[in-house]
Amino acid sequence: MATVTIDELSKRYAGGGEPAVKAVSLAVADGEFMVLLGPSGCGKSSVLRMIAGLEPITAGTVAIDGRPVNHVPAKDRDIAMVFQSYALYPHMTVHANLAFGLRRRSVPGDEIDRRVRGVAEKLGLTPFLARKPHALSGGQRQRVALGRAIVRDPKVFLFDEPLSNLDAALRVSTRNELIKQQHELGTTTIYVTHDQVEAMTMGDRICIMNKGEVVQIGKPLEVYRNPADAFVARFLGNPPMNLLPARLEQAGDRTIARFSDVAVELTAYPISALKPYVGGPVTLGVRPEDLYEVPPPAIASRALQIAARVLAVEPLGAETLLMLTIGGAGPEIIARVGRDTNLRTGGDATIALDPNALHLFDPTTTKAIARVA
Amino acid sequence: MRLWLNHLRRTPLLLFLVLYTIVSGGPFLWVMSMSLRTTPEIFDDPYALPVRLHWEKFANAWTNSNYGTYFWNSLIVVVTAVALVTLIGAMAAHCLARYRFRGSRLVRFVILSGMILPPQLLILSLFQILLDYGLYNSLAGLIIVYVATQLAMTVYILEGFFAQLPQDLFDAARMDGYADFEIFWRITLPIGLPAIFTTVTLNFILLWNEYLYAVVLLTDDEKRTLPLGIMHFMGGHQLDVGMIATGLMIAIAPVILLYALFSETMIKGMTAGAVR
Repeated sequence: MATVTIDELSKRYAGGGEPAVKAVSLAVADGEFMVLLGPSGCGKSSVLRMIAGLEPITAGTVAIDGRPVNHVPAKDRDIAMVFQSYALYPHMTVHANLAFGLRRRSVPGDEIDRRVRGVAEKLGLTPFLARKPHALSGGQRQRVALGRAIVRDPKVFLFDEPLSNLDAALRVSTRNELIKQQHELGTTTIYVTHDQVEAMTMGDRICIMNKGEVVQIGKPLEVYRNPADAFVARFLGNPPMNLLPARLEQAGDRTIARFSDVAVELTAYPISALKPYVGGPVTLGVRPEDLYEVPPPAIASRALQIAARVLAVEPLGAETLLMLTIGGAGPEIIARVGRDTNLRTGGDATIALDPNALHLFDPTTTKAIARVA
Repeated sequence: MRLWLNHLRRTPLLLFLVLYTIVSGGPFLWVMSMSLRTTPEIFDDPYALPVRLHWEKFANAWTNSNYGTYFWNSLIVVVTAVALVTLIGAMAAHCLARYRFRGSRLVRFVILSGMILPPQLLILSLFQILLDYGLYNSLAGLIIVYVATQLAMTVYILEGFFAQLPQDLFDAARMDGYADFEIFWRITLPIGLPAIFTTVTLNFILLWNEYLYAVVLLTDDEKRTLPLGIMHFMGGHQLDVGMIATGLMIAIAPVILLYALFSETMIKGMTAGAVR
């Protein structure tokens, strides 16, 4: 059990111009499951490796339980890590792989065997204890890698994209297994991924990184509903949020956003928040699921009807994605509608939009405009 | 019909292989047959097969001609040198493959440049150095020279292999609590075994047959290695061809044995990573 506190952490690699990690600060509570999410090259793995002690820290501090560990070698940090490649020792059996870390800590032999068998039982690895990694399937290897971390009972778990080498079905079951194990053990966990579904489903909180910086930290749904900037808005959600250039206009005590030939009243934003942007450009965001072929009764009264042309229809089974162009020649947007839509490629459509679900972003900084004054 | 065509297509390859076997195996078989014949018999008809097998020549060479001593000298020198060069070379290769440190490129360049320099260029200075340190005409001196000269090739082969081992393995071992030397000992060495077998076999063969350094750096008969012992039968005025052949057979027996045992592992080590 431990807290992990990162303060102004930076990393500059030799020969690289831009720092890979720029003054990242993050506090992970005891027993929390924190997900570091971001596109590849955003510095999330570098942060993880610095916490692990595998990478020297350029600036800032990493503290475990309030104690700075910048100069504590990896082997003494009492952290276990699961690697994307699993990194199982190919010349050792599953049993020896699981026992390797305990052996170094001079745990008595019978205690090692008891713990190894306990973890193997828990993860369904008992039949494979005498096998070597090359004789295991991808999913089994993944479980050995997880077992190797669990068996040591460390203060902190670090995961570096541990599911990305698994096929889709196995990924879902392993994801659930991981969540279950973490809940049972209650060990503080930092999990790196570029997969937003993993982040949304696994994390108590997620920390979204871009270009070496933390963009937003929060509970998954909170971040999804209130993205801090246009990057987060598009990164979370699949298909991503539609972003449209718009202009704000004042009409009496109402503020109106105009894009293409559409004018929509911004009811969810206080006038004071929008004042600086009136008469100028903003970026307007709307999630594909907030566009409707037939608006549900709850929002029907306030829904705004938009004329559009269907560019493409992608039936996904449970739902259908529509590629649309507003007004027939305007910007392209994606809508997520029910599976039994009658709309066809090339046809005209009227799409309903919930004005309360609109997001506004500053066009220069791309930061979200606050909904509360 | 098709079977015949297939055979016909393979004929050139087969011819080449037969020719190659004759060229490489012929001399060996010739020396083997000579090793069981006496010198007068050989001078009578060099290419004849042995009429009577003179096995006693082997016992003769071993006892009367001091071959036993040469053999043990060779064994001591080569086994010690191979063990040392493997250990030192593996440690150097591990460091060069695993760690980025200031001057690593220079260290690699200096070590590998040892492969380029011909022994004739080094022999005078080595002679002087060994003389200065009182190691001239000693097996220890020869062992040191052998370790130094074989280090380049050993590091070259092992580094290539070690560099291909995924970094995650080493990171995992560090997370498991192991220090650098333990990681080398428990991860790099066991996983790198095919490459290590390769260097052991190659070094053993090369050093077992090494002549130039041995002839310059050893003078006492009691300290000679096998290749020098064979020269023993080449006097200024006479040439005991029969005994030279017997000596050669004794000399190459361990090499053949080693190659027979490890040839497969050796080839695996040399081609590792070539095909993924």
